[in-house]
Amino acid sequence: MLNIQNLSAKVDKKSILNGLSLNIKPGEVHAIMGPNGSGKSTLANILSGKKGYDISGKINYENNDLFNLAIEERAHKGLFLAFQYPLEIPGVNTSNFLKTSLNAIRKSKGQKRT
Amino acid sequence: MREKELEKIKEYKYGFSTDIETIKAPKGLNEEVIKFISKIKKEPKWLLDWRLKAYERLKILKEPNWQKPKYPKINYQDLYYYSAPKSFKEKPKNLDELDPKLLETYKKLGIPLQEQKRLNNIAVDAVFDSVSVATTFKEKLTEKGIIFCSISEAIQKHPDLVKKYLGSVIPITDHYFATLNSAVFTDGSFVYVPKNVRCPMELSTYFRINASDTGQFERTLIIADKGSYVSYLEGCTAPMRDENQLHAANVELVALDDAEIKYSTVQNWYPGDKDGKGGIYNFVTKRGLCKGKNSKISWTQVETGSAITWKYPSCILMGDNSIGEFYSIAITNNHQKADTGTKMTHLGKNTKSKIISKGISAGFADNTYRGLVDIGRNAINSRNYTQCDSLLIGNKCGAHTVPYIRNKNSLANVEHEATTSKISDEQLFYCNQRGLNQEEAVSLIVNGFCKEVLQQLPMEFAVEAQKLVGISLEGSVG
Repeated sequence: MLNIQNLSAKVDKKSILNGLSLNIKPGEVHAIMGPNGSGKSTLANILSGKKGYDISGKINYENNDLFNLAIEERAHKGLFLAFQYPLEIPGVNTSNFLKTSLNAIRKSKGQKRT
Repeated sequence: MREKELEKIKEYKYGFSTDIETIKAPKGLNEEVIKFISKIKKEPKWLLDWRLKAYERLKILKEPNWQKPKYPKINYQDLYYYSAPKSFKEKPKNLDELDPKLLETYKKLGIPLQEQKRLNNIAVDAVFDSVSVATTFKEKLTEKGIIFCSISEAIQKHPDLVKKYLGSVIPITDHYFATLNSAVFTDGSFVYVPKNVRCPMELSTYFRINASDTGQFERTLIIADKGSYVSYLEGCTAPMRDENQLHAANVELVALDDAEIKYSTVQNWYPGDKDGKGGIYNFVTKRGLCKGKNSKISWTQVETGSAITWKYPSCILMGDNSIGEFYSIAITNNHQKADTGTKMTHLGKNTKSKIISKGISAGFADNTYRGLVDIGRNAINSRNYTQCDSLLIGNKCGAHTVPYIRNKNSLANVEHEATTSKISDEQLFYCNQRGLNQEEAVSLIVNGFCKEVLQQLPMEFAVEAQKLVGISLEGSVG
């Protein structure tokens, strides 16, 4: 389902990930562990499409080249990043935010708004 | 990505024009034209004299030039000051007599005038160029003694009220554009709510500019008698044209003892194209007088259209314990410019005012909040709270805040808060990661930013305004 091949990532020429490969099949649960600064968050950020990394390698997700998908398209396909420190968007309450998010995802699947 | 997004920018939805035969006053500004307008509207002599007096004054006045957005010199002799559909020579008595083209125009704008399709619980006065086309729900309002009609009709039918209050808040000598309006105003709405009557529905005027080379000079007068309440909405659109057009309105509100007026505007004049060509110059004077004790005037505005918006809906808090409020959202995108804010003049004791201003700037636009809180010598224990927030989208736009505070009373309390922020990449990433695309994300963030103001709008308008906020900013993030 998720196949990472030889993924390397740099920020400002500083190498963070160096040739990571990983294959995750449907139904499996994986936990990635490591000391501070080992690149766990970087991996999650790259998977979800955060900008600012110099990336090489390949990631295939459900038969899509992940790098061809926009951030929101990845989200529509089920990639979900739990934020360590979620932001507050001033004036937008949680229920409104959840509803807007749900509706955006439903729209992408051709379902009706709730 | 950028190109794809630019393509998606929707055309200005209301940019069509109606091909209709018109009667126009001769081009130019002079005594003859003013007499022409007055005559065609069958006005009494006092009003013609009033107009001419304003015109005399205009001759010695100069256009103000302290505002931030500069504009090319307007040739006032090259404008039409009156334009009306030909079928209005004799005003149609009911909708059946109304030119179908007009009905069609309003249908396209989403303002159905026909009885069976009327908006729920909103009475509408529709103004097309220089004349009021129709007013709905008149009978129902008459039952309660509420007068809601075009100002032209009020001049005929309620001359005493008009004579008493017209120009009582914005004198004919006020400033260039207000004086110009006094000389050549054509139509607008008139509202009178009698003592202790709570107006059962929203009153609304829909302004439409259609003819080219024509200035629209709207004049609206709202009087809330003792203990009454009224909520009034105003909406505006215009066709897409390459030339700039002038809309110079005067709006006067008078609230007597214990009365309350709530005035909401959703302004969506044609803003010009993405290179800043064309669009409306929206130079408007709006002022409310809290004449009686415990009276309240509340302005809410959502300004998304116009090439240049230049307006300061203000309150003169004359009665003791009176309250003035100003809630504003001004959105400027592409090459739009806005210089807007309010003046709160505290004269009476224990008067309170509150200013919440949200300015949003994107593209190459420039957005200025300019306001004055003026506490008079006798305004003991008066209070003001001001909050001005600016939001910048992109790095080519500007936001400015120019708050003036003048306090002549040591017992008054004045607070001012201001913030300037940008939509951060983190916020966008968070929204994107939850499935929102760029535009939906911006719309959500901006709507959140404006929430305090949007909440002030009547229900029917709030939904519309929220959508408008999203649409106005489409294509602003690449």
